[in-house]
Formats: sequence, structure tokens, C-alpha cells
Amino acid sequence: VKRRWSTFLAAAVMTLCVGAWADDNDAIKELPITEYDRDHWAFKKIERPTLPITLKTIENGIDAFVLQKLHENGLDFAPESERATLLRRLTLDLTGLPPTEEELAAFLSDASPLAYDKQVDRLLASPQYGERAATFWLDLARFADTDGFEHDLVRKNAWQYRDWVISAFNRDLAYDEFAKAQLAGDETENAAERIATMFCLSGPDMPDLNDQHLRRHDRLNELTSTVGSVFLGLQMGCAQCHDHKYDPLSQADFYRMRAIFEPAIPDLQRDKPYNVFEKANNSSEPRFWIRGDHTRPGPSLVAAFPRIADRPDASNGTPPTRTAFANWLASEENPLFARVAANRIWQQHFGKGIFGTPSDAGLVGLAPSHEDLLNWLAVTFREGDWSIKSLRRTIVTSKTYRQTSRRGDQEISRWQERLDVDPENTLYSRYPRRRLEGEAIRDSMLFAAGEINLAQRGPGVMPPLPKELVSTLLRGHWSESKNKADHVRRSIYLFSRRNLRYPIFEAFDRPDANESCPSRNVSITASQALILLNGEFAVEISQKMASKAYDDAELSTSDHALRRGADALFRRILQRLPSRSEQEKLNQFLIDQPKLIAADHPDWVERKVSVAALADISLALLNSSEFLFFE
Amino acid sequence: MSALAGISRRNFLSQSGMGLSFAAVSSLLASDCALGDEEAPPQSGRVKRVIWLFMHGGPSHVDLFDPKPDLVSLSGKPIPESFGMFGTRRDVAKNPLLGPVKPFAPRGKCGMMISDLLPETAKFADDLCLIRSMHGDSVNHPQSVYQMNTGNILMGKPSVGSWVSYGLGSENQDLPAFVVMPDPGGGLKGGPPAWGSGFLPAQYQGITMRPGAKPILHLAPPEEFSAERQRNALALINAINGEHLVQRDNDDQLAARIRSYELAYRMQAAAPDLVDLKQETGETLALYGIDEESTRDFGQRCLLARRMVERGVRFVQLYSGDTNGWDAHSDVLANHRQYCRATDKPVAGLLADLKRRGLWNDTLVIWGGEFGRMPMSEGGKGRDHNPWGYSMWLAGGAVKNGFTYGETDPIGLRALHNKVHIRDFHATLLHLLGLSPKEFSYEHNGLSERLIGPSDEARIVKEILA
Repeated sequence: VKRRWSTFLAAAVMTLCVGAWADDNDAIKELPITEYDRDHWAFKKIERPTLPITLKTIENGIDAFVLQKLHENGLDFAPESERATLLRRLTLDLTGLPPTEEELAAFLSDASPLAYDKQVDRLLASPQYGERAATFWLDLARFADTDGFEHDLVRKNAWQYRDWVISAFNRDLAYDEFAKAQLAGDETENAAERIATMFCLSGPDMPDLNDQHLRRHDRLNELTSTVGSVFLGLQMGCAQCHDHKYDPLSQADFYRMRAIFEPAIPDLQRDKPYNVFEKANNSSEPRFWIRGDHTRPGPSLVAAFPRIADRPDASNGTPPTRTAFANWLASEENPLFARVAANRIWQQHFGKGIFGTPSDAGLVGLAPSHEDLLNWLAVTFREGDWSIKSLRRTIVTSKTYRQTSRRGDQEISRWQERLDVDPENTLYSRYPRRRLEGEAIRDSMLFAAGEINLAQRGPGVMPPLPKELVSTLLRGHWSESKNKADHVRRSIYLFSRRNLRYPIFEAFDRPDANESCPSRNVSITASQALILLNGEFAVEISQKMASKAYDDAELSTSDHALRRGADALFRRILQRLPSRSEQEKLNQFLIDQPKLIAADHPDWVERKVSVAALADISLALLNSSEFLFFE
Repeated sequence: MSALAGISRRNFLSQSGMGLSFAAVSSLLASDCALGDEEAPPQSGRVKRVIWLFMHGGPSHVDLFDPKPDLVSLSGKPIPESFGMFGTRRDVAKNPLLGPVKPFAPRGKCGMMISDLLPETAKFADDLCLIRSMHGDSVNHPQSVYQMNTGNILMGKPSVGSWVSYGLGSENQDLPAFVVMPDPGGGLKGGPPAWGSGFLPAQYQGITMRPGAKPILHLAPPEEFSAERQRNALALINAINGEHLVQRDNDDQLAARIRSYELAYRMQAAAPDLVDLKQETGETLALYGIDEESTRDFGQRCLLARRMVERGVRFVQLYSGDTNGWDAHSDVLANHRQYCRATDKPVAGLLADLKRRGLWNDTLVIWGGEFGRMPMSEGGKGRDHNPWGYSMWLAGGAVKNGFTYGETDPIGLRALHNKVHIRDFHATLLHLLGLSPKEFSYEHNGLSERLIGPSDEARIVKEILA
């Protein structure tokens, strides 16, 4: 394996998607899968690893594996996070919203040893959990409410798929069933699951394409690539024009897997959408396409699973249906499905996977940092009836997850050792600090202001958009929702136009829905600062919060209303009071800023000046790293 | 700066979760808006800056830059069978051929043939490097817009501007590296993904700028905020974030956030200064046609493009043409008369201005659409899309001036000699910028993905290089 790795790494510098293809008249030529090919961590059968025996006192399997590596490196777990930080972490991580002041107070005063577990159960049971979990699944599904391309037409029932995903997470639909519904929901008894098959067809589409054969070809190739990367962690898409350069995936493997889906896609008709599987008539026979070119048919072929993910002697000659494919995915024969899924769930709670290329478990993907842990999670997941909530519960109740991310009161040398030995936190020697996604930032802002509308389900809503952006769209492509209450719905319910991401989401790295996205970038840019400083949304929210904080403070007593207003904003936004040094700065600010504002606006009454000064504090807190990260 | 002292780049990259191919690591750090050591980006290329004049909708090469005597003689007749089958968007293959709607004439010392529709551009014939053998792969607007901008007919790939922004960064720490100026008349067919960053990080995508008081979205605070009031608010943010940072081992991401506010603040000053055309003389404004109604709009964008490259913006793309633009299906003469009129003088003004300001040698100007137009007519006076053969021109010191390269067939249907596929054009562009087309790549989904696309067929068109 070593030899192979060094060759691959050297070659990886060059572009990968190049290779040889079959000549027009050749029969399919492909390299056989050898034992050598199967000797790669991801392709091996998953065995339940034994817990490291020296660690019998550990209750959670995760901690055994993590602690073993920490010990090997002379480290131990960091202390548990202090409770307010921990609840904020858990709540944002599981629901995408911060805790309320009341929830925090309840947790802080709960002396029961099960206090934390109760919070985990409460949050996993909340409807907001499914909305959070769905966000990342919809990234993988390259979900949008429109087609893309020139006309970017609305997909009228796309929101039903989004709602189906949310509901599936909320009712903890078993992951194998979750996958099966999305691949073959139309083949089941349950007609309601047909909408789930939109997963397969959720990529961009150009219904007005002249050449409808090309349209069908593109959609089939795109869905095959997506299904391969999402459920198998294989970059199948690289094999559509030629054999995969590094992984044991031949071009024929690609077209055999595509053939499983071929019967579900009819001959398409111009300007007719096709976004959910239906009983289909098509005139095409599954075949190999030379160089992936839809005008160059190669030999016909029979549907089959990718050989590397299957048992060596599995082929019984019967072409599998999509239901059979889904069943095979979740079977023990296929080691990729469980590993890839467990890694994705882990990634959501630690910001990175145990292997860092979650849609590529192949030879040039990154190897797992904790292979035994990954296998243990995969087996636990499978044997736990594929319950996603159970796996998450195991993860977030682990000591590994509950560690602090900062030194706090600890001795500096011990903390420094942690940073020196584990600079990139690959050993999980502390909890990784994480920036919120654009959706969670918007939701947190609405939540802090008490403005958020937690209504669930239904067609995508359109809050106001700057007119400069509306003008870059075709006419009628963004019609502000008439009901103002819709403007403050959770971000996942915002209409998702493929040709225009909502500005705050775009600034904070929401993927563009043109291809499956397994992990978001985390960039830090000046555009983010600008939108949070000057954007209409941030300015309006600050104003509203300031206005309320001031009036509340005034109402109780007019003494120090500004200072008490500022305290209220700290509690509201950061769930704490200002530190001593912050207090000093605030005191000065509350002297200087109202004077300045009053001088700028001699006609403003005192209340307006005071509220404006508080709004500046509110805006500052919404721009604070503390608000935009959890740790 | 101080907040970043002592932080290694490797450390930052790993913490920020960015996968980077090593080819561009140094330039990312030099150029990224918010972060990093301010070291000079690599400068091995002949071209340092690009201005791309994108004629959206597809200008007609057979009416502007590629005169075909046979098309004149065969005008009104069907296309000879010898030309074989070819794809069209609107089923026009059997329609009668249509001669050029305006006469051509030899221009300059080089005698380059340019239509009477472009009298001002024609005066710069000796400065142009005309490619008459461009070709692409799709007869549709959005796919061709994507292919011209990203190398791929599918939507969602990183755009050329984002490649360059990623590879070379900005020369100006206060302005973005890649700026787009859309036509205010309406959206592009294919929309903003044409200047998106695809799988590259978001900071490399094109930043939209407009002439006027609000050049960048969210650039300025609401009007009631005085500069001093905002400075105070920013100082408060910095104080809060600074204290937070110190308690967190000077975490690189948190330090980068503090710097991003400093950059945002500098941009607030730099961008309005950039778009302040009052700083230009009346003579310069007239040179770009800003003193005339019909040329003002495009003239302003051309002048802004010059002001941007002057300040070190790496890649400027400006669009002529609203949602339909140069898409002359019904009447080529009426359509092209209007769009040539609106752009001809501003384009000539830009070329003249670049020359006299010493920007000519290391700036590359690109003129072209997403495709050309068919030699046969549509509805009598119009023309359908033609991706199989069309013209683009380049200008600047790095390419041969007064030079014509490549040929289409006798009626201008297909590129025939010295063909230049869009990927060859991209390869040549990267080469001019000092980036190796075959090696320039990015780590994506575990693969090192070549930005120009997977094909090995991309060719640097060495024949046009000066």
C-alpha cells in the first residue's frame, strides 16, 4: 500500500481526470479488480474493532479510541467545557440556533448528573433538529428550487423534497431507508416517498436544450456521479469519459451503475420538467459511451454495482433494480456505505471528517486519522438499526465532544503542550472552534432579536433582496413574499434560486447547488464584514434590538438606561454580561457615541439618539467573533 | 498586521479548512483579502492585468471582423450541400445565406478588414490581434456563456477571473482581485454563475461593481451614519474581538476576522475613490464617449476598467448587452448598429488611454461574445447563434499587434485553419499571465483538479504571442 500511495501522491499533482478511452469498435476493455486493489482501508470489510483494553473505565467507545491516540502522544483529554459554552455548542450544533436565556438558566441550575443528557434528548427531539440536519444533506443533494441555466425556472414541487428530508431527520428515519427512499421511493408501496427520488434529479437541468438526448445523457451522468459520491464516497464522475486514473473504477463500472437508473429516466421532452422518478418509457438501451460523448455509442452493457464495492464473486447476472441497488448499498457486502455515512455525521459535529475528503474514500482521498474509530462508528451505526439520532447522541455525549476548546484557568504549560503536540487538532485534544454557516448566522440574528418565525414546511419564501441584485435576474425571478412574517422564517425555508444565492449565505460559503458539496469552505473575507456591518438586515435587526432594550430599561427606571440597555444586549446576543474591560470600553462608548450622534443629527430627540447608540453596540455584538463562532 | 504575527501559513490553512494545491498557496496568502503575509505575488507572465469586454448575446463575426466574399456572392441562396450537417439553435440550417449587412474595408497599415459598423475600433487595427478561428461546443447561450467563462458548458465551475484571482491575487490590498461590471440593462443568460468561483473558495469570485454612488453592494453604511460614528463602532468591534482573540491562543481564523474588518474599512475608502470619475479631465471623459448619451453607459464602465487596472485590480470583466444584448435573431443591422454605436467609441477610447498611460504593455484587452452568428439568415434579416466558427480580438503589448490569426471556411460557418478552441484561448490566457495551464490546479474532493479542465488537448496559441 505504501508504494501505491507514494506513486499516487506524486501523480496527484497533475490533473487526474485524464486517461485512455476505448476505440469506437472495441469491446469493453477493463482491468480486473485484484486483491491488491481491495487492499485499501475503505474497501475492506468492516470488522468491529475491539476497544483498547487498558481503557475499561471509559463508557463511550469513541473516547476509548481517541484517548488511546492521545496517550500515545503523551496527552490526555482537556477538561470539560464550562457549561454555558457547552450548551451553546450543543444547541447550535444540533439545531442551528443558540439557546434561550431560560434554557441556559435551567441547564446551569440543573445539578442532576443527567443534566447534559437531558439537553441532548430535548434538542434531538426538537423540530429544529431536522432543519439543521437537512441543511447539510441538501448540500450533498445539490438542492435548489430552480433549474439553473438561462431560464432558471421554478421547480414547483422542490420544496416538498426539502420538507421530506427535514421530516425524515426529525422522525429519525433509518439511514438505509432514507437512502432507499431517495433512490427508489417510487418503487415502494408508499407513494408519498416518490418525492424523495428528487434527490437523484436535483442537479441543474436545461429543459429547453435542443438536443434532448444530450439532456438525458447529462442528467444520467450527473446523477450517477452524485449517487456514487454521496452514498459510496467514490468519485464515479471521474470515470464517465475514461477509466478512473487512480481508483479501481473503470468507465464500464460507471455506465453499468448508470444503467441501474436508466429505466427511470424517460425520453425527455423539450421544455418539460422531469424532477421526480415516474413510470418511464424510453427507447434507449444501456450502453457504454465512448469518451462520455453522447454521440459516440459504445457496446451495450448490463446494469451492475461498481465491482470494487461488491463481493468479488457477487455477479449473478441479473441486472439490479434501483431497490436492489439500495438494498445492496446497505448490505454488509458493501463497506463504503456505512463508513461514508458515519464519517459525514461525525463531520457535522467536529467540523471535519475522520477522513477529510468525505465524498472521496478512494486512493487519493485523505486517509482516516482514526481508522478504528471510524470502523467502530460504522458498525455501531449499522447495528443500531441505522438510527442517525442514536449515532449523534453517542457522539455528542462523548468526553471527546465535551472537551473545552480554550485554556481558561488551566496551567499555561499544559495547554501549550496540547497546542504544540497537536497543532491541527487531529488528535482531538480539544474541541475545535467553528464558525457558523450563513444560515445559522441569519437565524441566530433573528433569534437574538426575538423576531424568528419558526413555522415549518411549505413553499420557499422570499425576503427582500437589494434591488441591485434583483436587476441581475430575469424579470419576476424574485418577488418578495407578501406576508412579512415569511421574511423572518428560518433560512432553510428561503427560496433557493440556483442562479442567485441569498447574499448573506453566499458571503458565508453556502455552496452553489451546481454539484454535490460534501464540506463547505470556511472563508474569512472583507465581503462578510461589509454585509454584517452595512447590510440592511444587520442594521435593521440592531435597530430593533436596541429599541426594545432601551424601552425595557427605561420602563424599569430611567437611571442608567443606556448602560442597562447595553447589558440587556449582551445577554440577548452573547448570553452573558460584559467583562470588566469591556465594561470600561462601553462606558466610554456610551459617553462619546450619543454626543457624536446628537451632533450629527441635531433634530433627533434623546430617545432616538440613545437607541442609535445602543444599535451601534448591538451591531458590534452581532459582528463579534464570539457571536459568529461556537466553541 | 500585529494580530497575525507569528502565525504560520500552514497552520492557518489547516485551520481554515481550505484545501489548496501548492501551486497557488503562496499567491493565496499574498492576495487574499483578509489574510496573510503581504509578499509579492509571482510575476513571471507577460500580462499582469486583464480587461475582458464581453459582448453578451453573440456579435456577428461575418458582419464585423470576418468578411467572406463567397457569402456576398451566395447571398440569398441556400447553403451549398458541401458544407454538410451542423447544429443550430433555431433550425435555420436550410435558410438562405445572408451577406454582411454593412461593407468592410481594409484598416491601418496592416490592412485588417473591419466593418463600417466599428469605425472607431477600426482606427486601432494596427493594435489588434484578431483571431478568426474561435470555436466552442454549444449553440445555446447559457452553456456558451459558461464555456467562455469557465471552460465548461455545465454551470457551476470556477470562472477564468476566479482562477486568476486565486492564482495571482490582487496587486492592491484594498480592492478585490476580480471585478465584474454587468450591463445595468438586465441579467446575463446564465446569471452570476458566469463569474462564480465554483469549487474555489468564495473570496475568488467576481465582485460586482457599478458606476455611481454605490459601487459595491453593502459597501457604505446607511446614510445616517457619519464616518466618525462608524469608526467608533468599528473600534468597539475591534476591542471586543481583540480581547476574545487573546483569550483564544491568537487563533488564526479569529485574527483573520479582525483583519477582514480592517480591509473592509479600507475598501470603503478605496472603492468610492475608484469610481469617482470627477477626478478625470473633460478630455478623458470625451475620449470614452462619456459626454454623449449613447456611449455614456459603456464608456463609464470602460473608464472604470482603466482606473481599476491602474490600481492593481487583476481581472476586470465588463459586459455589453442586457439579457438579449447582441443576440440579433430578428435584425442584425438594427441590433448591431445599436450595440456597435454604444461600445465602439468607448472601446477605442480605452485602447488609446491604456497606450498613453503606459498600461499597454502588461494589460491584455479581450473583446468577444460567447459565440458568433450564422452565415444564413433567420427571418430574413436576423442571424442565429454560431459556436462553430467566430472572431475575438486581443490587444496589448503581450500579443502581436496588427495581426490576424486563423480562418473560417468560405462562408464563415466553421473555423477551418489554425483553429482556436475556447480551451486553447484559456490556455493562452493563463500562459500570458505566467500560469502553466497544465499544472494550475486546485485540491477538490480529494482530487487535484486542473482549472482549465481535464482535457489534454488545450494548446497555447504561441503564434499570436508578441
